[in-house]
Amino acid sequence: MPASLTALTGASDGAPSAGDVLIELGIVLLVLALLGRLAQRIGISSIPLYLLGGLALGEGGLIPISAGDDFIGVGAEIGVVLLLLLLGLEYSPEDLRDGLRSTWIAGIIDVVANAAPGFAAGLLLGWTPVASLLLAGITYISSSGIIARLLDDLDRIGNRETPIVLSLLVMEDVVTAFVLPAIAVLLVGATLAQGAIAIGVAFGVVFLAFYAAFRLSDRFSRAIHSRSRELLLLTVLGITFLVAGLADAVQVSAAVGAFLLGVTLSGQVADEVRSLLPPFRDVFGGLFFVFFGMQVDPRTLPPVLVPAIALALAGIASKVFTGYAAAAIAKIGRPGRWRAGFALVPRGEFSIVIAGLGVAAGAEPRLGALAAAYVLTLAVVGPVLMRVTDRRKARITRGARDE
Amino acid sequence: MEIFETKLPGVGVRYEFETEAGDRAGVVVRRDGTRDIVVYDRADADAAIGTLELSEGDASTVAELLGGTNITVRLEQLRHDVEGLAIEWVTMPEAGGLTEHTIADGKIRTRTSASVVAVVRGDHAVPGPGPSFEFLAGDHVLVMGDTEAVAEASRILTG
Repeated sequence: MPASLTALTGASDGAPSAGDVLIELGIVLLVLALLGRLAQRIGISSIPLYLLGGLALGEGGLIPISAGDDFIGVGAEIGVVLLLLLLGLEYSPEDLRDGLRSTWIAGIIDVVANAAPGFAAGLLLGWTPVASLLLAGITYISSSGIIARLLDDLDRIGNRETPIVLSLLVMEDVVTAFVLPAIAVLLVGATLAQGAIAIGVAFGVVFLAFYAAFRLSDRFSRAIHSRSRELLLLTVLGITFLVAGLADAVQVSAAVGAFLLGVTLSGQVADEVRSLLPPFRDVFGGLFFVFFGMQVDPRTLPPVLVPAIALALAGIASKVFTGYAAAAIAKIGRPGRWRAGFALVPRGEFSIVIAGLGVAAGAEPRLGALAAAYVLTLAVVGPVLMRVTDRRKARITRGARDE
Repeated sequence: MEIFETKLPGVGVRYEFETEAGDRAGVVVRRDGTRDIVVYDRADADAAIGTLELSEGDASTVAELLGGTNITVRLEQLRHDVEGLAIEWVTMPEAGGLTEHTIADGKIRTRTSASVVAVVRGDHAVPGPGPSFEFLAGDHVLVMGDTEAVAEASRILTG
């Protein structure tokens, strides 16, 4: 198969022709489409399947693809930016503030309980502190995308523990917005003093951006609004890429720039962008997950399988503990505590974003494979566990009715 | 009845209350305007046993049904009482027509014999607006008169 594909696309040495790039891009998108359909059919998130698709397509996989690499890489970068822009759009500055105020104790439990296992595992595997920090981020952050959709699918939006789950997700996103720039700086390999200064600058920039989001949100959003969807899209995408690029240039990471911009956009602009952009995000986001998978050689997976599964088990336990404790603090009943705990288990897009940062910087050779295995496990197992707590609820309800 | 309000980051707002019969229920107002009616489990007070998803249109219909006395019912009654009376809601266009003009500018009364009896703008209503009242885009204007006059008035309003 690889040989025939090479013959088909004529990919030999030298720069790939436009035709090669299009053919390979077509193959990648069709694989995404097939995997997406499969995910829909069996009722799971498409993220793990996209990752598997990437593993199959990339280096050492079933169909090694190379000509479109650059293009897919750019597409993946756009995917990250759009993922984070839309995540930011989900929240208004007030949401962030209220979320931080109401759940900060639970937020601290969340950081400590979930980042610590990742960090410790990294050190145990003999990784550098920076690579271990990346792993801590990967085990810490839950998947807002998977969880929000499941809460809706399982009719839990009205549940009393749901605001706690949502606030914790907000909290995680904000914490990550502050930590990613710091990691980005450390990845460049600065000395401790340089690093400290750069981290200070990055923190300052993020803090200022949050402040600006509060202050200027309305005026800024009104200024860029347009009744024409075309003009609105061009304006918003233009500003997004510009902000993301500039953020990247000052080591704040493009993802964080896009997230903060999303938070800043509000009102009518936010509503319309929320309805216009998701298809773009899904296509480019799909490319991002595939691209990440492509960079991981499947042959490197078996050696990290044991640590990945151990981390996944720890990750389940630590999130269930976090959710249970957070719900208990908010005086939620016992079944609700378990539901909140299991709801936080799925990891997904943000873990891969963090891992992608490390892979791009060459922080640790095993990072990509470990992150892929970890997310693959929890993006599939997490939702299953959520449904299990749901069935338990159904049984309790029926029992109560029979009495 | 006491109503508790809880913000749902990224979703909207949830209002929760207990009925006199002791059932707990809630309404989730989502950012996109859809609303969920939630009924809580008696055994596990934190969990919803049922969720009714309502579009914006569904929600206002349900609100009218629950409201008992309301504008529409009363208008229907009026229409029934006066034969040949036409009552129409006209929504002001984004631009053109009488949008950003006053009632006096349109001379609706003189030209058509129909009357503008009320204007609903956003959450509040203006009953019997005066001649200097200025229409804005999106206003819902209640016009009353005979069928022909109302049709003519609605043409003037929307341009």
